[in-house]
Amino acid sequence: MFIQQLINGLTLGSIYALFALGYTMVYGVLLMINFAHSEIFMLGAYCGLGMLCVLPMAASGPAMFAVFAAAMFGSGAVAMLVERVAYRPLRHAPRLSPLISAIGISIFLQNLIMLTVGAQSMPYPEKFPIRQFEFWGVTLSTLQIFIFFLAVILMLLLNLFLRKTKMGKAMQATAQNHLVSQLMGINVNTIIALTFFVGGGLGGAAGVLNGLYYGSIKYNMGFFPGIKAFTAAVLGGVGNIKGAMAGGFILGILEVFAAGYLSSEYKDVIAFVVLIVVLIIKPGGLFGEQVTEKI
Amino acid sequence: MKKIITMVCVLAWFGLGGCAQDKPAVKLALVVPLTGDVAAMGQGMKRGMEIAVEEANAAKLFGDTPVEMVPFDDRADPKEAVSAANRIISDKRILGVIGHLNSGCSIPSSSIYAKRNLVMISPASTNPKLTLQGLKNVFRVCPTDDLQGYFAADYAAKVLKVSRIAVIHDKTAYGQGLAESFKKHAAEIKLTVVSYDGIDLGDKDFKALLTTIKTKSPQLIYFGGMYTEGGLLTKQAKELGLTVPHFSGEGIYSPEYIKIAGKASEGDYATMMGVALEKLPEAKAFVEKFKLKYPGVDMQSYDTYTYEATNLLLAAIFQAKQDPSQIVGKVAGMKYDGILGQTSFDANGDTLNKTICIYQVKDGKFKYLE
Amino acid sequence: MKLPISKPYLMSGVLLLLLVWPFLWGGDNAYALYIACLIGIYTILCLGLNITIGYTGLLDLGFMAFYAIGAYTAAILSIHGVSFWLTLPVCVLVGGGVRYLLGLPVLKLRGDYLAIVTLAFGEIVRLVANNTVGLTNGPKGLPRVGEKISEIRLFGWSLNDTIHFYYLILAFVLLAVLVSHRLEHSRLGRAFVAIREDELAAELSGIHVARVKSVAFVISGMFGALAGAIYAHWIGFVSPEMFTFWESVFLVAMIVVGGMGNIGGVVLGVILLVGVPEILRSTLGAKFVDYRMLVFGVVMVAVIIFRPQGLIPSKRRSLELHTPEAE
Repeated sequence: MFIQQLINGLTLGSIYALFALGYTMVYGVLLMINFAHSEIFMLGAYCGLGMLCVLPMAASGPAMFAVFAAAMFGSGAVAMLVERVAYRPLRHAPRLSPLISAIGISIFLQNLIMLTVGAQSMPYPEKFPIRQFEFWGVTLSTLQIFIFFLAVILMLLLNLFLRKTKMGKAMQATAQNHLVSQLMGINVNTIIALTFFVGGGLGGAAGVLNGLYYGSIKYNMGFFPGIKAFTAAVLGGVGNIKGAMAGGFILGILEVFAAGYLSSEYKDVIAFVVLIVVLIIKPGGLFGEQVTEKI
Repeated sequence: MKKIITMVCVLAWFGLGGCAQDKPAVKLALVVPLTGDVAAMGQGMKRGMEIAVEEANAAKLFGDTPVEMVPFDDRADPKEAVSAANRIISDKRILGVIGHLNSGCSIPSSSIYAKRNLVMISPASTNPKLTLQGLKNVFRVCPTDDLQGYFAADYAAKVLKVSRIAVIHDKTAYGQGLAESFKKHAAEIKLTVVSYDGIDLGDKDFKALLTTIKTKSPQLIYFGGMYTEGGLLTKQAKELGLTVPHFSGEGIYSPEYIKIAGKASEGDYATMMGVALEKLPEAKAFVEKFKLKYPGVDMQSYDTYTYEATNLLLAAIFQAKQDPSQIVGKVAGMKYDGILGQTSFDANGDTLNKTICIYQVKDGKFKYLE
Repeated sequence: MKLPISKPYLMSGVLLLLLVWPFLWGGDNAYALYIACLIGIYTILCLGLNITIGYTGLLDLGFMAFYAIGAYTAAILSIHGVSFWLTLPVCVLVGGGVRYLLGLPVLKLRGDYLAIVTLAFGEIVRLVANNTVGLTNGPKGLPRVGEKISEIRLFGWSLNDTIHFYYLILAFVLLAVLVSHRLEHSRLGRAFVAIREDELAAELSGIHVARVKSVAFVISGMFGALAGAIYAHWIGFVSPEMFTFWESVFLVAMIVVGGMGNIGGVVLGVILLVGVPEILRSTLGAKFVDYRMLVFGVVMVAVIIFRPQGLIPSKRRSLELHTPEAE
């Protein structure tokens, strides 16, 4: 049972980790909590579902690629649009304004999907064959392996992008200081938009994985995972990208063990308590990335 | 400021004044979840009622006065249900209420209807407590959870011959009621209930719970709840290699359940109240009409009950000559022959028609088991 | 803004209108009264929340938690036969007490973290109410079948009709407005605003920031619990689904749209977001109700971008909000 729960936790953790990256990247460059990110996650799942339904071809590698491409591109584009419309005009407003604006966007996107697509849970079709392996009383499915490895690959790609490309380096510079980056010839607005695109895209991929894993999606599916992914980001130190990945896995495992060994009814409470306790005791996160307070 | 105040006043006048004057009709309220998680069932109930109202109007039941259905949406949320109930009792020309779907909505709303002695017939709320409140205006055409849970436990022991059962419920009045009556009778007939757990409505991840349940090696999982959670439970259980059948109440008897669970739902059981449609000749006409009016739409669990409840209510209003003070008494004394067999009520308002039938998922469809 | 009539006259006019309101509908339109009562309850809630968000600048995304605490405390006490007039102060104290304990660790946090922590607390309260079946009866709500929330008795007669509750709620709304108004113009109220504008400067001006924040936090929690206690008695039913995160956000939206830190603005926000959609429901049809949240989302974003001070800005605030903040 221990190993089984660990596998469940790692799968859940990979989704949280991917999802948490969007929060942490945006926080890194803008110092704001992108509350609407949970809706970006939800939109990703819906884009993926749309693609799954239109695709005529049977299960294949390219089909899978198309599904993820659609979800990531769609989510990324919406995230960028949201930044342009709702956050950029507020860049110099008091700190709480973008947060309130983000909540407004969140309400809007949820209700938009609810009214246009439907208020009911929608099943994710099982187009791709899933095999299960049994060993030592543990069941491991190909889907779980796929989720874990896709998440890890995407995270490695992000890491590569940040370290090796000009854009990635510009993004890191912007996160450190807007003004100085601008003086170095970086177009800060473009970089911020790009951050939203990349973060949103990863969130969208997490949304599809979530849909594949649970088999059903709903217009308000983003809320709970959103808070948890944010918790993961906080655990790793908001703004710290590697921290967010680690935080995601830690939280996923923690949640599954809490549900399995303590009480499945209180698993969400446990995630929220972790959030509160970490913010109060160690707001810089477990990995000690210093979050500088800018007054 | 002044403009805004004027605007609000004008709107208020329009809105609240506007609803009072319109042409005479026999108004019946339908309060079910038309949006939200279990909207599929609520929409189905609306279709059932539409057919009944259409028939009454075609037969000119009240002469030139048409029957009018006024739909309200309670979103399966007790708060919305109470709000809708208040709106209903504000409209003096509503003569009866068909609803609600969820026991959690029916119970708090029923006492609001009681203020005006407005008759309420629930086609679907099966929690025994609904009719034990001592309210004279409350009736239901479906048997209670007690009966279904009892029947399911019996069936599990005698027909399925299982002895170890895991029970899960969604903590709502309906789901927990079903699970409790199952557990109670299971204890009486010496079945082992290996675990008894509650889940949260709207939760999606049951794998941790199911992993724990798997270690207790049950032969059957009994679930009290609706199809959204039920579908996910059976799907995730089978992904974890817990390949025992799931058994549930009529809350999962919906094509949506099979859509959510996919192939994992194959072999699952559901109890349904009343005589199976397949067995009753009177029901054939209804099924035909339904197919004609809503081509390509699947029937949901409670369509027939809503149709039956509406017809029964209309018959009572007819007997009472549309006198609001007489309707409750007429419903209480009613013996109605319809598509569920004969329906009449005991002193609490529970139906005396207590048949239960059983369905199993085969090839992606619910099939009636003899 | 110049009003055509002087303020005392306007106020008396509004009061008179409120007093005769039920009779404009012939005294028996239960729905019109229901909406009026609902607006009243939300007004008390929003005036409470306004103390933290509007005056002190602390964004609270879990205010429904205190509404829930008030409602559940009232329901539990009332089921055991405790009189409403005793229940009420107990609820207010419990609400304030929990708020105080929550404030001890979390008020040190920076604005957006505080928002997230209150959000988490709000969800924890809801989930606990959902799961501690022994105390709260879980999702089935209180009272359990066979139990009853006792009637409110006042001078020998009992309140059991919506119209009685209308006047009861009206009385408490007036009380809430009065308290808010006195608070706003007190030394404490000015301290709240000073903290909102610049915590450091406020500290240097001799304001005990931690204590003043805590006071604001506790007072608003008391308003929430008060509203909850009245609501539980009025509707006679409490369930966890009433206290979701989106309800808390809905309150924030009312304050933002109406005007943060302004009593008139807050009341207008409540009327616009609670009352108008209900009124339009009968004219525009039920479909409209589905779209209201969509519209609120857009309105919230638009207001915060184009008119951050809200529809009716507070005099102080409209002067302050436009200065860009240095990073």
